[in-house]
Amino acid sequence: MPNMKASLQRTLWISRVTFLEAVRQRFFAFLLVLSAAMVLSSVSFRVFDFGHGELKFIADFGFGGMFFFGSVLAVVMTAQLFFSEMDNKTALTLLAKPLSRTEFLLGKFCGAWAVLGVFVIVLASLLGLVLWAREAELIALAEQSGKIPATFSAAGLAEFVLLQWLRLGVVTAIVLAISALARTFLFAVVVGSLAVVAGQLQWIAQDAVLKPSDSLLYEGFLWVSCRLIPNLQQFNIGDALVLGSAGVAPGAVAEVALSGLLYVTAYLCVGSLVFRRREI
Amino acid sequence: MSSAISVRHLTKDFRIGIRGLKLRAVDDLSLEIPRGQVYGLLGPNGCGKSTTLKIVLGLVSATAGEISILGHPSATSAARRRTGFLPEAPYFHKFLTGRELVRYCAQLSGVAADSVGAAVEDALGLAAMTEAADRPIGTYSKGMLQRIGFAQAVVHDPELVILDEPTAGVDPVGSAAIGRMIHTMRDKGKTIVLCSHLLGQVEQVCDRVAIMDRGKLVLEGAVDDVLARRDRHVMTVEAMTPAARDAAEAALAAHGAKVTSVTHPRRSLEDLFRELVTGSRDA
Repeated sequence: MPNMKASLQRTLWISRVTFLEAVRQRFFAFLLVLSAAMVLSSVSFRVFDFGHGELKFIADFGFGGMFFFGSVLAVVMTAQLFFSEMDNKTALTLLAKPLSRTEFLLGKFCGAWAVLGVFVIVLASLLGLVLWAREAELIALAEQSGKIPATFSAAGLAEFVLLQWLRLGVVTAIVLAISALARTFLFAVVVGSLAVVAGQLQWIAQDAVLKPSDSLLYEGFLWVSCRLIPNLQQFNIGDALVLGSAGVAPGAVAEVALSGLLYVTAYLCVGSLVFRRREI
Repeated sequence: MSSAISVRHLTKDFRIGIRGLKLRAVDDLSLEIPRGQVYGLLGPNGCGKSTTLKIVLGLVSATAGEISILGHPSATSAARRRTGFLPEAPYFHKFLTGRELVRYCAQLSGVAADSVGAAVEDALGLAAMTEAADRPIGTYSKGMLQRIGFAQAVVHDPELVILDEPTAGVDPVGSAAIGRMIHTMRDKGKTIVLCSHLLGQVEQVCDRVAIMDRGKLVLEGAVDDVLARRDRHVMTVEAMTPAARDAAEAALAAHGAKVTSVTHPRRSLEDLFRELVTGSRDA
């Protein structure tokens, strides 16, 4: 147990410095400001709502910003945090200490994930504020006209934030596993981005698995793809959670969260195994 | 008692290019580094010094051979807990202050929570960095970076300190300060392994040296034994006139000795520089 405690403490120290390094980056500040501006400006663009409800349009704007900029941040920032240690050779100093490579990688993950948590919470808070303000206006208008007002669920928004944070955690773990293998920052960013796209399209492979095929090789390929690549679409149930556009089965959020945690664990294990063999 | 570092038949091959061509960086190297001494590992660039140190620290895997540190197999946590390392041209997180960095390294090295504060102050004091410890590392000069690197390497009071080119790019005053730190560590009974190609400094601070070339060990021994020429002698004479010199040469010749050269002693440029700029530290 003392060893476990010491190991957790070392991981915590690495993640703390990783967090400090990340929040000092201009890239993080730039994306946060850009995403916040996107969420706040959604009210001005609601005339382009394409016939959808106003709250849905505003929420979609916020979800889009969280997804896109969150993914960019998760891929680029994570790779940058890893390669800055390698290229600047600070990893030499750290790994010459009684610090295991698994602790180092786990610390990097926790630090990057904490930054992504800040990113998601800030954006969700702004989105919640915009939705709350507009909801109040819409309720007043609905009372005058005698219609049923549109509302949003703050608790659903909180659940959605948790799922988005997990989704970004999965992306971070994948990028770290790729970085542990990659020799260059660019390679890690490109392959990491492709992994995100593959994760968004993974449902296609899932659909194809259900259809019968004559080729065992094809079926095997699909089966492996479905398990290797996480289905990132499963985290995008913001409409259902926040606006109640569709029913969410009991336990569905917990199931998605568990799936996300399993992928995070699996990719961190793979990354750790690869990193242990890497020559610094 | 076991050696500080024991290296037996160490070989390291790197694979380069798509075809995986083999490049041998270290070739069947065997070394026994005794405890409590300053040991210099010398050689030209690319001779395998840094690779050897990285293998010793477990940062790079060996192709063949056995290594132990203070009796423990190399690359284990137990071995690294008792080892401090200053890499070549150290780079640290610029946003941390010197004190934060040393504290961070103390915590990673397993210094007990109630001893961290005292250990950090001791290490900063040894490296003469107490005054500048609260400045961000991004504002440090090259010499200060090396000194704070030294502080992070010794903060957990290791038995073995490995310094890779500790004075590279540092002016003679800073270099002398690092030399003093090395002596202080040796006086405390620590083993210091110094990897450098600044031969003058190595000669001044090391007890033993090993010289490597193209991955192989070409010479190893105590500095005095390696450098002494037992068949030659040097005398320093004051107020010598030509007549006195002739008389001395004749007297020596009578005993079968022969004077082969007579020159004026000169101090080194480094000594002159340090004498002229004494006290100007890069703070």
